[in-house]
Amino acid sequence: MNMTEEKLKIKIPREKEIKNVIVLESEENNQKRSVFGLDGIVFKICSLFSPLLILVLWELLSKLGILDIRLFSTPSLILKSMLPVVISGELFYNTFISIRRIVLGFLAGAIPGVIVGLSMGLFPLIRLVFQPIVSAVFPIPKLAIMPLILLVFGLGEVSKIFVIAMGVFFLVVINTMAGVLNIEQIYLDVAKNYGASRKDFYLTVALPGALPMIFAGFKVAMGTALLLIVAAELSAARAGIGYMIWRAYDMFDIERMFVALIMMSVLGYVFSFVIDWIERLAIPWKHN
Amino acid sequence: MFYKERTIIKLEGVTKVFNVKSQKVTAIEKLNLSIYDGEFLCIVGPSGCGKTTLLRILAGLEQQTSGRVIISPREPEKPLNSMVFQGDSLFPWMTVKQNVAYGLKMRGVAPKDYEKVVAHYINMMGLSKFENAYPHQLSGGMRQRVSVARAFANDPEILLLDEPFGALDEQNRILLQQELLKIWEGTFKTAVFITHSIDEALILGDRVLVMTAHPGRLKAEIKIDLPRPRDTLSMRANKRFVELYEQIWSYLKEEVIKAKSAV
Repeated sequence: MNMTEEKLKIKIPREKEIKNVIVLESEENNQKRSVFGLDGIVFKICSLFSPLLILVLWELLSKLGILDIRLFSTPSLILKSMLPVVISGELFYNTFISIRRIVLGFLAGAIPGVIVGLSMGLFPLIRLVFQPIVSAVFPIPKLAIMPLILLVFGLGEVSKIFVIAMGVFFLVVINTMAGVLNIEQIYLDVAKNYGASRKDFYLTVALPGALPMIFAGFKVAMGTALLLIVAAELSAARAGIGYMIWRAYDMFDIERMFVALIMMSVLGYVFSFVIDWIERLAIPWKHN
Repeated sequence: MFYKERTIIKLEGVTKVFNVKSQKVTAIEKLNLSIYDGEFLCIVGPSGCGKTTLLRILAGLEQQTSGRVIISPREPEKPLNSMVFQGDSLFPWMTVKQNVAYGLKMRGVAPKDYEKVVAHYINMMGLSKFENAYPHQLSGGMRQRVSVARAFANDPEILLLDEPFGALDEQNRILLQQELLKIWEGTFKTAVFITHSIDEALILGDRVLVMTAHPGRLKAEIKIDLPRPRDTLSMRANKRFVELYEQIWSYLKEEVIKAKSAV
């Protein structure tokens, strides 16, 4: 007896004989849905309270003497020492100085970075000429050339802005070029067929097409800029958040150091928020 | 000797050889062909017969390896050709309006001069409500309508259409064929339309060329003596339509089988 015959022997039950009935509920009848809704709120509360929980834990561990209070301080002590730095304007002055250096350095690196990256993406000849230079200079840690930059530009603002610009430039170049190279050939064909000039290739195809990658580059570059500002303000700076951190180190003022670190974190958050906001404006076709 | 009699494009022994992994692949071989001013020419052939290559050579996107292409436009001040590409070719970063206006903008026409033309073609394609939408907000059929509108708005002498409806579902394809006929009839533009559908070639074309499997050569030429203006639905019931369909299929069948056995 083969399989088919065996199957044919299976008795098909009549409707009333069927005991197990599976009903696929509609969305509105589905009880689980409200539970998920609740979960949503629970998730939000969790994400809001997890940093607070860390602070509470920190405070407790310090108070209990498990954490060395001289090295790690406590949230309440940090808060206390924050007040005079805020009132005297010292914190905001240093923050302003750092923001100015970051913004100027970022622009000085990003704008030429986009232009060079677009050109390298669009024109193979330019790519061939610049690629070895980029490949050779990019891997050098920008901090390693800080002493050279100080020798060339002196101790003033320019040296700090320049080192940030260097860090930002290469990241933006590489991302922009990759963005252009990833543009599908068909868009270049359309532009050519419809008579686009060289300028039009830049402005109507390469730049908008590469924008998502360019912004990805901006975000990474902003992280690098924050890293570089602290290092740049280590040597030969009279102000800035980085300077505050190093001064606090010199004076073993742990609370003040944490105040500066908190400010760094706020800066990082604000900058990434601003870049996200500009991205949404610049790439309306990616967001509904 | 003017409309549909004067030669607008003449191909003389056009050959295109591609280098694929240091191997030479002949896409088109010694193709001789005349395209007449104002005609709607459809080219059918098995996949990989060099149809798209031929169109890309005409569009100036590819250069033939040997042979000559002679183009003698009727109105040299107009753009020579505009292509409707296979698949998604709308710029995702431009709205419907900006996409349709692209060719005109590239030619330096001022916005106040092209706005009416753009609105006209958007309206003709039934997309007025979506003129400020981005391509990703549109369905596949709508996107291809925008593509067609972009080519017509550019007002070229020659339209090149590379399987523009190939990726669409049947219902959309029928609608778009109808709309293309409506928008084309009366423009006196030369159209070269690549397709793998015999149906489509018969509905649209004045003439159908059948190409051989690789390398692409000319196999047969069939004049489509069906009256215009055409209605895509009543046409299919026409006895002559069925005869022509069978005729083209008989040519094509050999090539499709040959293409299959060659792989």
